[in-house]
Amino acid sequence: MSRIGVFVCHCGENISATVDCAGVAEAMSRVPGVVHSVDYKYMCSDPGQTMIKDAIKEKKLDGVVVSACSPHMHEPTFRRACAEAGLNPYLCEMANIREHCSWVHEKSEATTLKAIDLVHKMVEKVKKNQPLYSIKVPVTKTALVLGGGIAGIQAALDIANAGHKVVMVERSPSIGGHMSQLSETFPTLDCSQCILTPRMVEVAQHPNITLYTYSELESMDGFIGNFKVRIRKKARCVDEKLCTGCGLCTTKCPTKKIPSEFNEGLGMRSAIYVPFPQAVPNKPVIDKTQCTFFLKGKCKVCEKVCPTKAIRYDQEDEIIEVDIGAIVLATGFNVLGAEHFPEYGYGRYRDVIQGLQFERIASASGPTSGAIRRPSDGTEPETIVFIACAGSRDEAKGIPYCSKICCMYTAKHAMLYKHKVHHGKAYVFYMDIRAGGKMYEEFVRRAIEEDDVKYIRGRVSRIYEEDGKLIVKGADTLLGHQAIEIRADMVVLASAAVANDGAEELAQKLHVSYDPYHFFAEAHPKLRPVETNTAGIFLAGACQAPRDIPETVSQASGAASKVAALFSQSELTREPVIAVVNRIAPPLYSTCTGCALCVPACPYQAIEMEEIKNRDGVVVKRAAKINPGLCQGCGTCVALCRVKAIDLQGFSNEQVFAELMAL
Amino acid sequence: MQDKIIQKAKELLSGGAVQVVIGYGQGTGDRVRAIFIQKPEDAGRLIMDGRCVQNLAGYLMKHEVRALGRAAIVARMPVLRSIAQLMYEEQFKDSDVAVIGISDANELVDLPDLNALKEYVRANPLKLTPEEQAEVDRLDAMTREERWAFWMEETSKCIKCYACRASCPMCYCARCTVEVNQPQWISVPSHDLGNLEWHIMRAMHLAGRCVNCGECTRACPVGIPLRLLNQRIIADIADNFGEEEDYALAAFKPDDKEDFIR
Repeated sequence: MSRIGVFVCHCGENISATVDCAGVAEAMSRVPGVVHSVDYKYMCSDPGQTMIKDAIKEKKLDGVVVSACSPHMHEPTFRRACAEAGLNPYLCEMANIREHCSWVHEKSEATTLKAIDLVHKMVEKVKKNQPLYSIKVPVTKTALVLGGGIAGIQAALDIANAGHKVVMVERSPSIGGHMSQLSETFPTLDCSQCILTPRMVEVAQHPNITLYTYSELESMDGFIGNFKVRIRKKARCVDEKLCTGCGLCTTKCPTKKIPSEFNEGLGMRSAIYVPFPQAVPNKPVIDKTQCTFFLKGKCKVCEKVCPTKAIRYDQEDEIIEVDIGAIVLATGFNVLGAEHFPEYGYGRYRDVIQGLQFERIASASGPTSGAIRRPSDGTEPETIVFIACAGSRDEAKGIPYCSKICCMYTAKHAMLYKHKVHHGKAYVFYMDIRAGGKMYEEFVRRAIEEDDVKYIRGRVSRIYEEDGKLIVKGADTLLGHQAIEIRADMVVLASAAVANDGAEELAQKLHVSYDPYHFFAEAHPKLRPVETNTAGIFLAGACQAPRDIPETVSQASGAASKVAALFSQSELTREPVIAVVNRIAPPLYSTCTGCALCVPACPYQAIEMEEIKNRDGVVVKRAAKINPGLCQGCGTCVALCRVKAIDLQGFSNEQVFAELMAL
Repeated sequence: MQDKIIQKAKELLSGGAVQVVIGYGQGTGDRVRAIFIQKPEDAGRLIMDGRCVQNLAGYLMKHEVRALGRAAIVARMPVLRSIAQLMYEEQFKDSDVAVIGISDANELVDLPDLNALKEYVRANPLKLTPEEQAEVDRLDAMTREERWAFWMEETSKCIKCYACRASCPMCYCARCTVEVNQPQWISVPSHDLGNLEWHIMRAMHLAGRCVNCGECTRACPVGIPLRLLNQRIIADIADNFGEEEDYALAAFKPDDKEDFIR
């Protein structure tokens, strides 16, 4: 007969306000096998835990049920308490009578009866529990940082400075990300590249960081501490060891009219190119889709002019395999494309641009060397209209969320414009000004009060061209929806920040969950903001949600400290909640039929087939085998197995059945 | 046709390529039954006519038959499909089985090895006939209550003889779930709940694996139209996952539809 202890928690008044906790404890005391049943105000408190420990010792308990909150919260607490009293921690279970009962029901007898049912089924489960022992796995102390923007750079530097190896993968030819495109940064207006490029160089020179640019993640296998990653290093067609970055090839390349990605299409680049002068590494790449040699089979000008003979047209993509212990996802964001704004004429009128394009125009390294000029004719705009929330907070565009950075950068844009064109007029159409942040509100006030930027609360309905001017039609909702028409020379859309291209596929490769907008999902919105639900994979920056630079950097440092904490031990302890294929007496050896259908079903590639041999070494059977290091205990194989040859430790068929039969 | 099969069987047996040919022979009365020819001179007992519809593939999985040595099997389309599925489930190696294939047009198909069989099955994907589809649609057209009443009525006849399981080539598990009694998920008695549990479980275990041979329906002594359950699942899988050879319940693809999640 079992000797089970039941401990009913009041959780202050969270539970006791609607559930008769003493009644639950009393009802449980009458369940066969329960030898101790009490209720207490705060079970998780020190005296509460002591009650459990004392009872285990005094009453020789062989199972414990704590009926309190979600096991998500305090299961580790109570299991640790049981372990301290000498009971195997996996003989302790929690019945959730808070989230599943007291919080969702009114005070009534039925609520108490439901709580009794919930506790009773856990009592029946615990009767079937077996002692389990945690699994130890080694840790590879190398981190993979995906993305070389400011988030990736910060995370990589922090991890590397903590003394661990870092592999950084960036898909474009240079690290730097969106931050390298920016002109000045709010709220201090310091030059973006001036603060960023030293860090880019530090990444390239750091002895602990291996940098793979123009590379992408091919595949990821394994689990926390033991990931196996394949990186596709795309062919640059340039021998990076020989290339000195002199830039002769880029100046001599005859194909020069390719819209530059770095300049958001406002400038041109050649077919062999370095994205921007401060690029890290400062080695060119041949764009095979544009290069005359790759398209027509002749040219080879770059090969002829290269003083170190570094051009390699026959270079092929290289697959690099690395063992990794933790992954930081820092793949950043993108801005909403032109096709989403037919009403604003974006893509149709050359002087309607988006925020990143304005950044390039305002940047000293940009196509106009920092002079504010219209893309269409190069004249100085006398009037600029800035439209905030272009796409953001707009259900019709499928983006109900706030892009967060636009209010601030729009104020910055208007300010930069006014600083450069003193007589110019800047208008900002906005819905609300969201300037929460240190020095942010002051910054916006400065734009309005000192730099005379005209803020108009209202939406723009349409923009059309007339006599070389852009007619912006809108309404001022603070003046009773009065119609407004502005004859502008240029319009800047603060277009919504969206998840980066390929975010969904990447998330699936890494088994990381994502939200409906393809931003990666954190494990807990408040308490675990830099972790994902996949252990060992962390988040930094705008791949999780739109973020500004200070937030991105602090989050990246947070992710880095998580990685450093993980790497501080040489072994990881894992929960033994894993699936196991049964073994029985001959002649069956296992009820597994060897159909191998569970192999493709496992999302973690944890199942392989093994041969069972008899004592003479003759193969008698092929059966599934689950790698305890890879198994995450999701139970997919258990549900799939027709013969129930697979069972999940801690949630076995017998335990679940006992729970159900108690109801 | 029959002569060609006999000829082929003789060749296979006398050449030593196989030790046994599984085919159809005369049973009692007007019935045909499975026969196991082990000598070339006995090959004349093989017959092939309209009565020969039983799915013989199930015999390939029996210990007693495997003990006879390498087998050749007279295989119409459902048998070929069964063998292909059993191969997918790693129950055969190429060296285990030879086939005397017969197409739907009643022609002998030359399938030198199991890879050729796989190709042949892939080229002829499983589809419901218009009559079968009409029957599925008829059930679909019922209200939930009518359909529930229909199946409760049909399954209430079940006597739990497990003939459906015995006849099915896909029911080869050494220990069927219904015989797992720790814990006993499926109740054994043939009351309403036990019958319903058994048939739902069997249909789910065959989802994505059933080859629509109809053996369960033919085997059922009380005439439950069991194949309707499987045909509905076949139609659903074809609609939602296409007619691919991967096991629909286990194969995950990033572009799988998720419109059932609401």
